[in-house]
Amino acid sequence: MTPEGIVRVFLRPQFPELLLTHVELSALAVGIAVLIALPVALAVRSSPLGTAVAINVGNVGRAVPSLALLALALPFLGFGFAPSLVALTALAIPPILINATTGLREVSDEVVDAARGMGLSESQILRDIQLPIAAPVIFAGVRTSAVQVVASATLATFIGGGGLGNLIVEGFQRGDEAILLAGALSVAALAVATEVLFGALERALTPKGLRLTRRKRTK
Amino acid sequence: MIEFRGVTKTYPGSERPAVDDLSFEVPEGEICVLVGPSGCGKTTTMRMINRLIEPTEGEILIGGEPNTRISATELRRKIGYAIQQIGLFPHRTIAENVGTVPSLLEWDKERIRRRVDEMLELVGLNPDDFRNRYPAELSGGQQQRVGVARALAADPPIMLMDEPFGAVDPITRERLQDEFLKIQQDIRKTIVFVTHDIDEAIKLGDRIAILKQGGTLAQYDSPENILTNPASEFVASFVGTDRVLKRLSLTRLEEIELGPPQGNGGLPRLPEQASLKDALSEMIGSGAERVLVISGEGRVRGSLSLDELRRLSGRAG
Repeated sequence: MTPEGIVRVFLRPQFPELLLTHVELSALAVGIAVLIALPVALAVRSSPLGTAVAINVGNVGRAVPSLALLALALPFLGFGFAPSLVALTALAIPPILINATTGLREVSDEVVDAARGMGLSESQILRDIQLPIAAPVIFAGVRTSAVQVVASATLATFIGGGGLGNLIVEGFQRGDEAILLAGALSVAALAVATEVLFGALERALTPKGLRLTRRKRTK
Repeated sequence: MIEFRGVTKTYPGSERPAVDDLSFEVPEGEICVLVGPSGCGKTTTMRMINRLIEPTEGEILIGGEPNTRISATELRRKIGYAIQQIGLFPHRTIAENVGTVPSLLEWDKERIRRRVDEMLELVGLNPDDFRNRYPAELSGGQQQRVGVARALAADPPIMLMDEPFGAVDPITRERLQDEFLKIQQDIRKTIVFVTHDIDEAIKLGDRIAILKQGGTLAQYDSPENILTNPASEFVASFVGTDRVLKRLSLTRLEEIELGPPQGNGGLPRLPEQASLKDALSEMIGSGAERVLVISGEGRVRGSLSLDELRRLSGRAG
């Protein structure tokens, strides 16, 4: 195995396609998960019971291994992109649900009471107070979810979902370390890039006043 | 200005009311302090005025009209609201915080900007230093001031204040109270003020409503009358055995007729803004039978003897 061997894999005409499928699968899974988890978190925000249920469901969901989720999708939904997407979405939901629920719950009661007492409507309280204050925590959940999904999308290859996992399986089957490593390195690089990108977005989304609050708290 | 008519609040799942058949009136331009032990319903009472809590029975009139005549959010924008934990919005600047209600009322930007500066100056914060800062950068006392400025920003005729000076150290609290009284002399708002601290109630209130457990009104009167003629055992014990001293603390030396300045230079000297209680304390502390009262310009205005002080406090007995 030589570095040139690995580079040759990257230069294959199929490589961009595999990369694109991988990114597509991950992005769609996280996007759909946000569309599911966020409304649930908003719906339960004023109910302590609902909040507790949502957090527990999230924790249980997080405990299910990714491979098990993909394996579960197979008998019900068959092979291919769609079943992989369903399984990855299920994987993406828990961290977002947990963080969104916690983030909204952690907006202090006094702040909400003051807002209500000054005459903000319930929708203004949500839009102008609760969501901006909870945004960094919610976004941290999206970040965790995205990194996890990018890593787990590698397994989609086992149920025919495609993506960079194809390279790793091919490398194993042909006993070709260059192909195996090319697959592994590109997944790792994609996961790190996701982490860095979302980290930057999270910082950009944190209102300045909240950054100050945190700095003070950690002193 | 604010009138409670047979107001009762029973929380769901509770057998006994938190506030029971409350009827009283707060005149325009006065500070009415709701005071009582915890669980007496004082905060519930206050929160029913701006409908953060809806009464089970009875009604509350504001300026002669039931407070249910307009929507709750519209009502709240006309009533200033300041609370103990302050509840400043951490993600907004001080200027944005103070401008909250004016923005809701859709004032134009320039008017809001001017008003915010005016309010910050009113509460003793330099606008240039503070308007672009965030709550996390301020001390507790400064946050309390911003809380008061925010409540006053839209110039509401009525203010509700729930222990707004509760979360600061005693020295800062005293200073905030003094400044608050000075501000009130100019703005003359109708204020409902909740506290558990009887001393704060006596110091700030034009009238004091003492509530007792179960949310009934034990006495509603001026501080002087509550100290002189407590209506019941409960009021007397809530006010405390030192009510003679408390009464002395209500009167400043400049408000009484002083005796001629006499005695030599060795007598303790007190500024005329000091209270009778301060004078008594000085006499006990120094062993002197008489204190000299000094005017703002440093002139001796007169003197007060221990005998005279005893006579003055006699009325409080």
